[in-house]
Amino acid sequence: MEQLTTIGINHYLTISAILFALGLYAVMTRKNAIVVLMGVELILNAANINFLAFSHYNGGMEGVMFSLFVIVLAAAEAAVALAIIINIYKIFKSVDVSSIDSMKE
Amino acid sequence: MHSLIQLSIAVLLLPLLSFVILIFFNRRLPRRGDFIGVGILGATFGLSAYIFWTVIVQHYDPAFRVAWDFTWIDFGNVPGVGPLVIKMGIVIDNLTAIMLAMVTLISFLVHLYSTGYMKGDKHYGRFFAYLGIFTFSMLGIVLADNLFAIYIFWELVGLSSYLLIGFFFEKESAADAQKKAFLANRVGDIGMWLGILILYSQFHTFSYHEIFGHLAAGEFGMSHAWLTAAGILLFMGCVGKSAQFPLHVWLPDAMEGPTPVSALIHAATMVAAGVYFVARIFVLLTPEALYVISFVGAFTAFMAATIAITQHDIKRVLAYSTVSQLGYMVLGLGVGAYSAAIFHLVTHAFFKACLFLGSGAIIHAMHHEQDMRWMGGLRKNMPWTFVTFSVATLALAGLPLSSGFMSKDAILAGAIGFAQAEGGGIYYLVPFLGFISALMTAFYMGRQIWLVFFGESRTHLKPAAPDDHHAAHAHDDGHEGEHHAVHEVAWNMRLPLVILAALSIFVVYSPDPLDGGKGWFMHMIQTPATVVGETVHAEPALHMEAGESLAAGEGHEVVPGHGAAQMHAETHTEGHTFADPRQAEIGHLSHAAHNQAIMISSIMVALGIVLALVFYVFRLIDPDKTAKAIRPLYLLSFNKWYWDEIYNATVIKGSLGIARLLSWFDANIVDGVVNGVATLTRKFAFANGSFDRYAVDGMVNFTAFFVNTSGAFMKKLQTGKVQTYVVMVILALFGYFVYYFTQLVY
Repeated sequence: MEQLTTIGINHYLTISAILFALGLYAVMTRKNAIVVLMGVELILNAANINFLAFSHYNGGMEGVMFSLFVIVLAAAEAAVALAIIINIYKIFKSVDVSSIDSMKE
Repeated sequence: MHSLIQLSIAVLLLPLLSFVILIFFNRRLPRRGDFIGVGILGATFGLSAYIFWTVIVQHYDPAFRVAWDFTWIDFGNVPGVGPLVIKMGIVIDNLTAIMLAMVTLISFLVHLYSTGYMKGDKHYGRFFAYLGIFTFSMLGIVLADNLFAIYIFWELVGLSSYLLIGFFFEKESAADAQKKAFLANRVGDIGMWLGILILYSQFHTFSYHEIFGHLAAGEFGMSHAWLTAAGILLFMGCVGKSAQFPLHVWLPDAMEGPTPVSALIHAATMVAAGVYFVARIFVLLTPEALYVISFVGAFTAFMAATIAITQHDIKRVLAYSTVSQLGYMVLGLGVGAYSAAIFHLVTHAFFKACLFLGSGAIIHAMHHEQDMRWMGGLRKNMPWTFVTFSVATLALAGLPLSSGFMSKDAILAGAIGFAQAEGGGIYYLVPFLGFISALMTAFYMGRQIWLVFFGESRTHLKPAAPDDHHAAHAHDDGHEGEHHAVHEVAWNMRLPLVILAALSIFVVYSPDPLDGGKGWFMHMIQTPATVVGETVHAEPALHMEAGESLAAGEGHEVVPGHGAAQMHAETHTEGHTFADPRQAEIGHLSHAAHNQAIMISSIMVALGIVLALVFYVFRLIDPDKTAKAIRPLYLLSFNKWYWDEIYNATVIKGSLGIARLLSWFDANIVDGVVNGVATLTRKFAFANGSFDRYAVDGMVNFTAFFVNTSGAFMKKLQTGKVQTYVVMVILALFGYFVYYFTQLVY
């Protein structure tokens, strides 16, 4: 019981795992490209939580630095991805990823 | 070089010049160039006559001999043979001089005669060209001093004979006859060549003189039987060329050639070449070989005479008579009556050429009728031909005062001497057949003379049948309308007849009409000492001296008129051991039998003539009824003893059978092997192909198929949908983890 009452690293890792799974689910199942992008954000942030949790219980600053980089990277990624999505929309008049399969064989 | 040799080279080459000019240019020359042929042959005869005069008249020496040779081809040292040098050369002795004069004279006369006989023929110029090359080849045989050279000219003579027999080659019978002649001669020539090779293998030379020298020195390395074999093989050449018994079948068929050709080649010269050749090699013939020769000759003489009796074709009678007379010559050589045989060769050449040219004149005048049954009564229309033909006939039948009488009796006397020397018995068959043949000769010549010249013309009796002679030449002389008008021939055909008939009279050869031995001829041609006698090994040195030359020198002092061999024998009794007792004995006995021979043969000839008179002149016995009475014999003779049929059934059918067998063998065995190999190769190739197609290609195709199939499967995975890829990545990652942790656990 004590385990559940006291907030420890396992809680963080569990949250992170749930978040990752949700993100992954979104990426795998959503049709809207924007929602897929949002799933990706969830995955990235799940990773951030992992970094911060380990960093906190390990006593160093490496995890913090790493998560900062991930945030910056996520911002850049979002910008590029949105640009791609806009271009896809321009060409296909749709952002439905399941309908965009012109790379098929 | 002796001047005679130079002259003889000119004699040899002039007819060749005539051939070369005429064969190439006869169409551009006026009269198709016949004057060139006649002119050149005239000049050739002139030169030969000069040689004859110098040798025979001026020298008058039985041992006269000049020779000259040069190296023709030097092969150097041939491996397995030794030094091989082929020489060519010329030898002139009495025999050569006489033959030269005879050949060129007859050839000249035949040329002259042909200007009349062949007039208007399509290939008139070519005919003279062929006569030219024939004369050249014949002179080559006469002049050659070695076996190699004589063999070359021998074949050339065969070639010219082939060309001339088939001169009317549009006629199928002529084309067949020329092939038959060529093939029959081929058989003989093979034997001759083998004989030459036997001698060459021993002595490494082809020259007569050297071979005889070596033989006399006893250097023949093999057994006596081989020498006999060599002699008989060489004699085979004569059997072919001179139409002796097994190979005689070609000569009567050769009458398909133009009649002047029959006179020149198939009566006077070429067929005599065989006899001449045997005379040249006479000294190396062993007694055994001589037996064979004498029996072949006797049988040929007899058989041909029986056939001649029943033939209807005027030329065929003469052809069989020629075979018969050649048999006499060969018989003469076989029994050792050397000079008599040569004598008969020459006299026969003249009177038989005369007979053939006479028959040619008759055929010409009768518009190419050759069947004696439809002739008759020609003596009034053709007096010149009649007289000359009769003179020659008397000579052939062997009546006294003719040349044939002397030569034939000399041979028959030799035959009697031979039989006595050999101790009688079976050997008496030889003179017996000779005398019987003499009877038959008189009979069939009497029959011919009567049928052709006497009685009434029987042209109208001829059944109207399609006749190729007429078809071929009907338009020759433009008076076919008057079919019964038979005229004497022109001067250019008469003159040769007269000259040849004149040469058939005894005075040309001997002052004594009963004994040719007293004349110049028998003095000039004397039996040479054999080089293979019984004493060869005992006294080699002596024989080297005697050599192969004609009878030894002291012989001159002996009165001409003794038998040549006897003279020879006496020569040798004087100092040394006897050279050859056999020859000497035959010589003695022949001389002793001389009168006997004259008597018997005269009786035979008289009997023959009487029989001919009884049958054909007085009609005491009807020939047709007689023929019916002895029908089997008549048919045997009329069908030429069935030799053609026998050869057809044996040799020709046999050859064809062998050819068929070989053809079958070729088609089935040889081709079978080839085809089998081909089939095997093909089968193997097919197997190989299948392997290639199914195994190799299969693997390649399978690879392609595999790649294709797997590609087709794999490409399904590439959906183009991003989320599918994500799922795969996740699955792969998941799979990896599962694998990794499984590993970790175990």
